[in-house]
Amino acid sequence: MAVKPESGVLAEMPMRFGDDALLWAAWLYYEDGLTQSDIAQKMGLSRASVNTWLADARARGLVNIEIQPEHFRAVSVARGLKDHFGLHDCLVIPSEGDGKPLIERLGQAGAMVLKRLVRSGDTLAVTWGRSVLALASALDHPGLADIRVVQATGSTTARIAWTPEACASRLASALGARWIPLAVPAIVSSPAMRAMLMEEPVLAEQLQVLSEANRIIMGISSMRPESTIHSSGFLEGVDRHAHYQDAVGSLLGRFISARGELVSGPVNDRTIGLDLDGLRRVPQKIAVAGGIDKVAAILAALRGGLIDVLVTDAATARGVLTADGWQESSRRPAPAATVPTATRSHGKKLINEARNAVDESLAGALMAHEALISLVPGTSRAVMAKHGPRPGKVGIVIGGGAGHEPGFWGYVGQGLADAAVVGNIFAAPPPGPILAASRAVDGGAGLLYIFGNFSGDVMNFEMAREMAEAGGIPVRQIITTDDIASSEPDSRGSRRGVAGNVFVFRIAGAAADLGASLEACEAVTRRAAQRVYTMGLALEPARLPDTGRPGYELGADEMEIGVGVHGEPGVERQQLVSADDAADLLLDRILSEMAPSRGDRVAVLVNSLGGTPAMELYILTRRIRQRLTAHGITVSHMLVGPYYTSLDMAGVSLSVLHLDDELAALMDHPCDAPALMSKGGRA
Amino acid sequence: MTDLSAADVTDLFRTVSLRIGEARAALGALDGAIGDGDHGNSMAEGFAALTRALVSATREGKGAGELFPIAAESFLDAVGATTGPLYASAFLSAGQLFSGMDSIPAARIPELVTAFHDGIARRGKAGVGDKTMLDAWRPAARAVAAAGPDPLAALAAAEAAASEGRDATRAMVAALGRAARLGSRTLGHIDPGAASAVIILQGLREGLTARLARGAS
Repeated sequence: MAVKPESGVLAEMPMRFGDDALLWAAWLYYEDGLTQSDIAQKMGLSRASVNTWLADARARGLVNIEIQPEHFRAVSVARGLKDHFGLHDCLVIPSEGDGKPLIERLGQAGAMVLKRLVRSGDTLAVTWGRSVLALASALDHPGLADIRVVQATGSTTARIAWTPEACASRLASALGARWIPLAVPAIVSSPAMRAMLMEEPVLAEQLQVLSEANRIIMGISSMRPESTIHSSGFLEGVDRHAHYQDAVGSLLGRFISARGELVSGPVNDRTIGLDLDGLRRVPQKIAVAGGIDKVAAILAALRGGLIDVLVTDAATARGVLTADGWQESSRRPAPAATVPTATRSHGKKLINEARNAVDESLAGALMAHEALISLVPGTSRAVMAKHGPRPGKVGIVIGGGAGHEPGFWGYVGQGLADAAVVGNIFAAPPPGPILAASRAVDGGAGLLYIFGNFSGDVMNFEMAREMAEAGGIPVRQIITTDDIASSEPDSRGSRRGVAGNVFVFRIAGAAADLGASLEACEAVTRRAAQRVYTMGLALEPARLPDTGRPGYELGADEMEIGVGVHGEPGVERQQLVSADDAADLLLDRILSEMAPSRGDRVAVLVNSLGGTPAMELYILTRRIRQRLTAHGITVSHMLVGPYYTSLDMAGVSLSVLHLDDELAALMDHPCDAPALMSKGGRA
Repeated sequence: MTDLSAADVTDLFRTVSLRIGEARAALGALDGAIGDGDHGNSMAEGFAALTRALVSATREGKGAGELFPIAAESFLDAVGATTGPLYASAFLSAGQLFSGMDSIPAARIPELVTAFHDGIARRGKAGVGDKTMLDAWRPAARAVAAAGPDPLAALAAAEAAASEGRDATRAMVAALGRAARLGSRTLGHIDPGAASAVIILQGLREGLTARLARGAS
C-alpha cells in the first residue's frame, strides 16, 4: 500500500478496511456518499489529500467494483455483520488467498486486530485452539507496558500443539507481557475435586486475575468430530448424544445451543476456568474463527452476545449472515436492470395434464418401440424387454426418476438391460414395481441392479432387493458415481450417478448377454462404473411440467458448472464461454482425474441435457476429439445426442469411459434397444 | 377420555393432507433452492394417496391400528423418492405401536410423533445437524417425551420444538441427500423436509383439537 497517511488519525479507521486507508476513503465516498470535506475531517487529512487519494483510487481501479469485487464484498459483509449483530467491529478476510491455509491467515488478521486494540495495562484472557495459536504466532508487538496475559481455562491434554499454556505463553512473549497460567487441568475428575481445587490459594489468585480481564481472545469450536473441542479431550468418556445433542458449538470448553445459551452436561461442573457469565462480563470479547463448518457455532455465539469483535473469512461471514436471514443490500448506484435473463420465465410445453406427463410419455414409448419393450404385467411404470427373460442369464434391472428420457426404458433390450423402472419426475420409483420387474426378468441366475447414487434410488432399490432376496432371488447392485463435479476424488462414494450410466448399462448388458455369472457381471460392471467420468454444464435450467418454472435462475451471460441431471443447481457459476472453452473445461477436469496414458482407448458420450441441439453437440465433439487426438488417446466408441436428459435443460454433459481390453470387447458386443442399437464392432 | 376410531384417525390424516396440499407450492420453492423442487409434489401426492387408501380401508371396517401399514404402503407407492421410504417407515413404526387396536385413546396420539421419529431415524440414519427432516422430528420427539399427559399440550410442544428445529436448519450445511452436493450453498435455506415435518405436526394438532372439541363419541 503506497499511500501513507499524513497524521496518526487512522487509528480510528474501522478494522474492516484492514490497513488500507485508501480503500476506506473510497468506501466513504462512493458507498457511504460522504463529501470530500466530510472524509477529510473524519480521516484527519486535508481536503486536497482526499481528492488526490480518490483520484488514485480511481486510477488503481479500486473503486470500480467490477475490478475489485472481492475487497468490496468482504467489506460489505463485514459491515453487515457489524450492523446485524451490534458488534464493536468486524474484520473479514478473503476466504482464499496466496496459498496459505485459512487458519494461518486468520491468525495474521487476528494479530493485526489485536495490535490495534491492545493497550498498556490490559489484562488479556486467552483460550486455546489452532486459530488462537496462529494469532499468537503471527503477533510481534512489544513496547506496551504492564500487560498481563491470563489463561481463560485450565490445561488440556498435551496431545495437541495448541494447548491453553502454549497459546497464552506465546501471546505473552509476543506482547512482552506477563503470563499467568491457571495451574490446574481444565477438566477435573469430579465436581468435588473442582470444589477442593478452587480453595487452593494459588489458583484463587490466578482466577482473581482472570476475573479482572478487560479483553479476551478466543477461538470457537464446531461440534464436528475433528474439532478442537474433541481433540482437546473435553468429551472423552461423555455420551455426547445423551448430554450435548443441543450443542452447536463450544467456546472456553463450554457448550452452547443455537441461541447461544449454555448447554449443561456432566462436564460443566468439572470445568475450571471462565464460564459464560464470566465471559459476558469481559468488556471486549474478540473471537477469531473461520471455516464453513463453524457457521452454526459462530452464529450461536453472536446470538448469545458472546462476541464483540469478530475476525473471520468472507465465506463464513456470508454463511452466518444468510443463515440469520440477512440479505446483501443492493449496491448504489443501482445499475438499470435492462439486461434480460437467459431464463425463459415460463416454458412452453407440449403436454396435456402435467400429472399425466410421465405416464403418457411412457405409453408413447411403448407404442413406438413395441417390437422391443413392453410393460411388466400388473405395473404401470416398469418396462421389460420383449425377448427375455432367458433362463440362466443374469437379469439387469435399471431405473430412476422420470425426466431423463430415453432413460431408462431406452436402454432395455437385447445386450442391454432386461427391465427398467421409472418413478415420478426426478423421483426414485418405489420398491413395489422394482420387485415386480425383478420377478419378471429373473432367469434363475440372479439379478444385477444398476442405478445412480441418489438417496431416494438407494433406499427404494435396497428395499426392493431385500424383498427379492427374501423371495429367493439373489441380487447384486451397482450404485453409479460418475459425476466428478459433485464431490472430490477422495469421496467418490458420495458422487451422483449421471450420463455415464449409459456405458455402465452397456457393459453389464453385454456381459450378461455373453453368459457371465452374477459375480462376473457384477465385477466387470463395477469396474466400468469406476472407470467412467462425467462432467456437465447448463446454460438454462430445466422446467418442471407442473410449474413450468425453472428450479434456479441463470443470467444471460452465465453458465452453471457441474449440474446434475435434475433441477438441482450446479457446484459453481461462471461467465458463459465459447464451445471450445466449454469442451476444454469439461475434458480437462475429466482427464486430470482419469490420468490416461498415451495410446489408451476410451468411449465418449457427448450428451444433450435436453435443450441443447445436435448442432452444438457436434461443435463440442469436434473439439473433444481434437484434444483427445493431441493427447494420444484413441476414441473407439462414440455417442452424440440426447441419451440421458434432464427435461428441457439447455446444457451438455461429457462422459468418458476409460477402456481396457475386456471393457472394449464388451462395448463391441451387439445390442438392440430403443435408444441404443449396434450390430457389433466399433460404433 | 375420548378414543379415536378408524374414521377419526383417517380424519387426522385428512387434515394433515389438507395442510400439506396447501403448502405444496411453498415446499416446492424451498426444495427448488437446494434440491430438485419435487418435495411439495411428493408430499402432497403421497398424503392424498394415503388419505384415499385410509378412507376405503375405514369403509371396509378396518380398525384404527390396522390403518398404519396401509398408510405406509399407499404413501410409498405414490411417492418413491427419498420421502416415500422415510415416511413409510414412520407409519410402519406407528403401526407396531397400535397393532390390533380397534381405537386409539386420544392421550396416546402424541406417541405418533415418537414413532414417526423412530421410523424415519432407522431408515434415514441422518445425524444431528445434517440438515434433514430429522432436525425437526428429533426435537419434536423429545418435546413429547418431556410433556405432561395432555395430548394437545404435548402436540403443541412438539410443534414448537419442531419449528425451532426447522429454523435451525438454516444455519446447517446439508450432509445427506441431493442437497449435500451443494455444500455451503445450502446455508441460509430451510430444509424442505424439516418444513413439511412441522406442517404434519400442525395438521395432527389441528385434527386432534377438532376431534376433542366434538367430545366423546
